[in-house]
Amino acid sequence: MISFIQQLREAEIPVSVRYILEFYRGLQKGLAPDLDRLFLLARLVFIKNVEHYDAFERVFAHFFLGKGSWKMPDWEEVFAGKPFQEWLREQLENGAISAAELRTYGMEELLRRFWETLLEQRGQHDGGHTWIGTGGRSPFGHSGRAGGGMRVYGRGLHGTAQKVIDKRSYVNYSGKSPLARENVSQILASLKNLKRAGPETELDIDQTIARTAKNGGEIELVFAREFRDRLKLAVLLDNGGYSMIPYLDLVKSVFGKIRDHFKDLEYYYFHNCLYGAVYQDLPRTRAIPWEAFVGRGSDTHLIIIGDANMAPFELMASNGSLYIQGSDRRPGQEWLKELRAAFPASVWLNPIPKGRWPTESVTINQIARIFPMEDLTLAGIRNAVQILGRRR
Amino acid sequence: MKFEGTERYYLSPELGEIVNISISMEKPLLLMGEAGTGKTRLAFEIARAFGIDMEEARCKSTFKGEELCYVYDTVLRLNDSRFGSGESGRNVNDIWDYLRFGPIGRAFLAEDRRVLLLDEIDKTDSDTQDNLLDVLEDGSFTIREINHKVTARHMPIIIITSNAKRELSDPFLRRCFCHYIPFPGPEEISIIVRLHFHGIPEQLLEACLTEFYRLREQGFEKPPATAELLDWIGAVRSTGASGPGAGKAIRHIGTLLKRSQDLLKYKGVNQKSQFR
Repeated sequence: MISFIQQLREAEIPVSVRYILEFYRGLQKGLAPDLDRLFLLARLVFIKNVEHYDAFERVFAHFFLGKGSWKMPDWEEVFAGKPFQEWLREQLENGAISAAELRTYGMEELLRRFWETLLEQRGQHDGGHTWIGTGGRSPFGHSGRAGGGMRVYGRGLHGTAQKVIDKRSYVNYSGKSPLARENVSQILASLKNLKRAGPETELDIDQTIARTAKNGGEIELVFAREFRDRLKLAVLLDNGGYSMIPYLDLVKSVFGKIRDHFKDLEYYYFHNCLYGAVYQDLPRTRAIPWEAFVGRGSDTHLIIIGDANMAPFELMASNGSLYIQGSDRRPGQEWLKELRAAFPASVWLNPIPKGRWPTESVTINQIARIFPMEDLTLAGIRNAVQILGRRR
Repeated sequence: MKFEGTERYYLSPELGEIVNISISMEKPLLLMGEAGTGKTRLAFEIARAFGIDMEEARCKSTFKGEELCYVYDTVLRLNDSRFGSGESGRNVNDIWDYLRFGPIGRAFLAEDRRVLLLDEIDKTDSDTQDNLLDVLEDGSFTIREINHKVTARHMPIIIITSNAKRELSDPFLRRCFCHYIPFPGPEEISIIVRLHFHGIPEQLLEACLTEFYRLREQGFEKPPATAELLDWIGAVRSTGASGPGAGKAIRHIGTLLKRSQDLLKYKGVNQKSQFR
């Protein structure tokens, strides 16, 4: 049982003590008398996101189907097993649990404490670094990797990808690794922008009473608009290409934080430079026409996250698009300028530290002349938020 | 209590089991998946199968969560205090006469167990979801005006649906059992069609389904789903046509494609093919 849950975690599925206890309760209630139902119970308890279905199925198959015959998972085994016994002895020895307390704990309480310790330890060991290479997992076989062609692997000079036939493999950013920087969220929250908006539907009781009193008891109703957060934020992510991979961890942690903080937040994806379209989905198959995207500039904040590191010809040449099938005839630079003009409140976040911009690539400075650019550090993000706020 | 589909509703064994697990574990069941996979219907069918009442909340983006529990009608009370409550029997001094319970409030206060459906929860914003979460988990809410706590007599069977228009917050997902309903394949959908059209000729069914799945693959903005399929087959049958028509000339295309853009696209595609 312990290794099943550990394998789930290794497969990048977030597991909390809460789920484990729920699973335990479900088993105690006899909700999993056979393998099929065990599968459903475990999936209901542990999997909250369709993105994880595939990974879950593989772990489950490996764990319960791989050994020929399967055995009902037995919680007694957990209690009798070595990890639990050792943990208990340790807790008793260092006084975290006293013998008297132990007698008052139920099984669930003990399990909860045991798993809390275990999950914490695991969390420290592998802070979610196994995720590279899991990018192609997709639910129900809608493979994001379809399509032939070849990809030239390996990093070129300074991470510059030369013109290749891209296999359009993608790295899935949306996984949630435990976050190191809690304060990113507070910084981003300062972008929140509450305004009275919408129809006047909320009865302003104080005003109504005041006016009514003035009117000599003749009722006068006063309505006010509701408070609503009207801030729209679009995040454009560079999600392909080898030059970004060393920075994905950083981007991911910010990504996870941004998610919860805005009323209207949409993600779009691009690859390396922008040529006439952005994409709605990770594998970049659903394109949004340029005009439609640019049209929202007036009331939307835009954050671009990318390393701005590309072969100079991608930016400058008129046929620089990495995609051979693309027929874009304008250089990337032109598209970027147009984007910047359309989004007065926009900022480029670069995962490469500021100090290395001049040496890393010439294109960084060129793009920084078009977009205000900051690096993905706390200070950089704080600056970026200020830049966006000024253009409100 | 065990849930096993009803005569008008095809329940996949998997989904049935999921419903039963959620009920025994007393967890809200969050159903995701594209429109037309029977998410909302499921709640109705559960209520029907168990013979219990249902409270339904169709979410709107303006919801703040509280109105699903109760509404305090201040305007009415003001009005009554000025003009008198007349023969309505309301007592201006009694706030309870001006409190109206929403679906959650009614489900909590009911004498019997109810099914509570929160439809299209993704339309609400994340603050609302967080508010609802606490209410649903504790089985209680507080009427702020009089600081009165309402506690559920029987925990309702909670079914939540989402079209994934917006991502739900992690804490919300954590407190639900989540299930993604994939769009039914040809086999399942044949069962569904037969439930609605007894004795439909095999040939007609097959021809309809072929066209239906072909249309679905063409990437329309609103691809036809189960409800559209049933309407369409109904239309084809009622006119006594021998077949559904194919490719360029599908009969009653308006029942399948609802968006004008999709219809134009459908017609455009076919016009081009006529010139070829």
